[in-house]
Amino acid sequence: MRIDNTELWSGLAGLALSAFVVWSGYTLGLGSINDPGSGYVMFYAGLLMILFSLIILYSAIKDGGPTFLSLWRNVLWTKPLIVIALLIAFTLLFETLGFLVSTIILLIALLRVIDPVAWSRAIPIAILVPLVAWYVLQKLLLIQLPSGAFGIG
Amino acid sequence: METLNLVAQGFGVALQPINLLHCFIGVFIGTLVGVLPGIGPVSAMSLLLPVTLAGTPESGIIMMAGIYYGAMYGGSTTSILVNIPGEAASVVTCIDGHQMAKQGRAGPALGISALGSFIAGTFAIILLMLIAPRLAEIAIAFGPAEYFSLMVLGLVMLTFLTQGSMAKALLMACLGLVLGLVGLDSINAQPRLTFGSIHFIDGIGIVPLVMGLFGVAEVLYNTEQSLKREVVSANISNMFPNKDDWKRSAGPIGRGTVLGFFLGVLPGGGAVVSTFASYALEKRLSSYPERFGKGVIEGVAGPEAANNAAAGGAFIPLMTLGIPPNVVMALLLGAFIIHGLQPGPLMIAQNPKLFWGIIASMYIGNLMLLVLNLPLIGMWVRLLKLPYNVLFPLILLFTIIGVYASGNNVFDIYVMIFFGITGYFMRKFGFEPAPLVLAFVLGPLLENNLRKALILSQGDLATFLQRPISAACLIIAVGLLLSPMLPTIRKKREVVALDSEAS
Repeated sequence: MRIDNTELWSGLAGLALSAFVVWSGYTLGLGSINDPGSGYVMFYAGLLMILFSLIILYSAIKDGGPTFLSLWRNVLWTKPLIVIALLIAFTLLFETLGFLVSTIILLIALLRVIDPVAWSRAIPIAILVPLVAWYVLQKLLLIQLPSGAFGIG
Repeated sequence: METLNLVAQGFGVALQPINLLHCFIGVFIGTLVGVLPGIGPVSAMSLLLPVTLAGTPESGIIMMAGIYYGAMYGGSTTSILVNIPGEAASVVTCIDGHQMAKQGRAGPALGISALGSFIAGTFAIILLMLIAPRLAEIAIAFGPAEYFSLMVLGLVMLTFLTQGSMAKALLMACLGLVLGLVGLDSINAQPRLTFGSIHFIDGIGIVPLVMGLFGVAEVLYNTEQSLKREVVSANISNMFPNKDDWKRSAGPIGRGTVLGFFLGVLPGGGAVVSTFASYALEKRLSSYPERFGKGVIEGVAGPEAANNAAAGGAFIPLMTLGIPPNVVMALLLGAFIIHGLQPGPLMIAQNPKLFWGIIASMYIGNLMLLVLNLPLIGMWVRLLKLPYNVLFPLILLFTIIGVYASGNNVFDIYVMIFFGITGYFMRKFGFEPAPLVLAFVLGPLLENNLRKALILSQGDLATFLQRPISAACLIIAVGLLLSPMLPTIRKKREVVALDSEAS
């Protein structure tokens, strides 16, 4: 059996998560069978998770599974990473820059990063869509949106 | 006579201008998300969940329901013209629908799909109208044991029908159950898995969870692939099927309707599995099964009727028992709860205007969909030409807006990103998100009913087996859990297994 078998690591991750759930349920208190406590369902759900994780592990050992490399071979694996980084950066700056500025910047970045759209198309889309969204949310649905340090929007 | 009076009362509600507008918005958005691959009814409904707060419960729920059955219509357009299912319930339509389009018969394929959907959708509403009130009367006698066992059956059935390893699906269901318990214990207000953060006191929001697992994860997964589309647009002016097409489609539409409706009612079943079942049935009954897959109209008519009938049938467990049979209905349950309503056996009696208003709106919505999908087909074809590199950034932006608008809280966006990353890895490693989401919604209900049942029976576990409905549900659930050990059933399960957005 290969050590980079993804099924094996899925099973192990499941096992670790299950152990945490069992422990959490136990510390919350099981109560008794005629008066179950806050951790009762969580504890037993965790035990079931251990069982299913063991089945995944058994099947990984018996039948093998794809390797990490094979799952990311021939794909543009950097793209999801960049998108995640952009989303986190956007969320960090959302309240500081305000809804309009941050969404325009995010949209320009996404339009240019995922599969580059020409600047002549990307800029109008990146400005118009957040503007329409801002108008619908703020003016029509009366949802409060952050205007940021610059007070735009 | 009493039913007719109630239906008339329902039309009185559905025909109010504001409700007509919401119905139109719902079916329009439903068709839109059905047409666009990568965003399905689950994402659209969670995105619009906060918007329903602005109006009355009737208008909000009419709109949400419209998105669901509207997506069933729209999904077929993409399947037929692009050979990519617009949403999971249209996977089967690709097989013969796209072949028909390549042979220059895109018009009849789209036409029979819309007309078959309309017939099946209307029939399903009539059945829903006749069955739901009767079932609600019976469901009043249900106790916590029955509810608990029904929910267990629903979860087991969904995991049984989920693609890939059943152990993985069950692990996801358990994880969803645990995630659903995060927050204050409803009985003694003890905080659970909150990690000392006030953000988790009310639990994890369904909107960021669903948008992350379905919306963001879908985009992340697709950005690493080079997706190219070829849209068949020739010869779609003649939409009406000819006499021979009708003759060959009548049987499949009829059978697909009945099959779809009853599979839709089953907890854990739904639109996707009904399409596979209908296709398999038509192929088996056909005198020329070898032509299936090469562009026969029966392969489009049956599954399309089935998924629309199933969409109608899925309302029965939610409306009569308060148990959502699939992820979409779980979101609809969320919409009811947002408005302080609890669907279940008493809802039809206590809120007849709401129930009959929704039913009547579904009749009207089906008519609207016929107009949207026959004369206005050109509009959807143009939309299909929207490139992915523009579509994906827009989907991401709308998910962020939807999540922020649902709670006016930046923390929810972090939660969505977390579940987006989780969902991406889940897809990579072959874990389906549907059992997780359904268990997440059912989690608190399941726990509550289990604890109540144990308290009422003074800890006697036999209570679950002494009550016939509860015992039957548990026996079926155990049967389904053990059945993959039998090779013949395992093979059949692989054939009907659901796609990623199993709703």
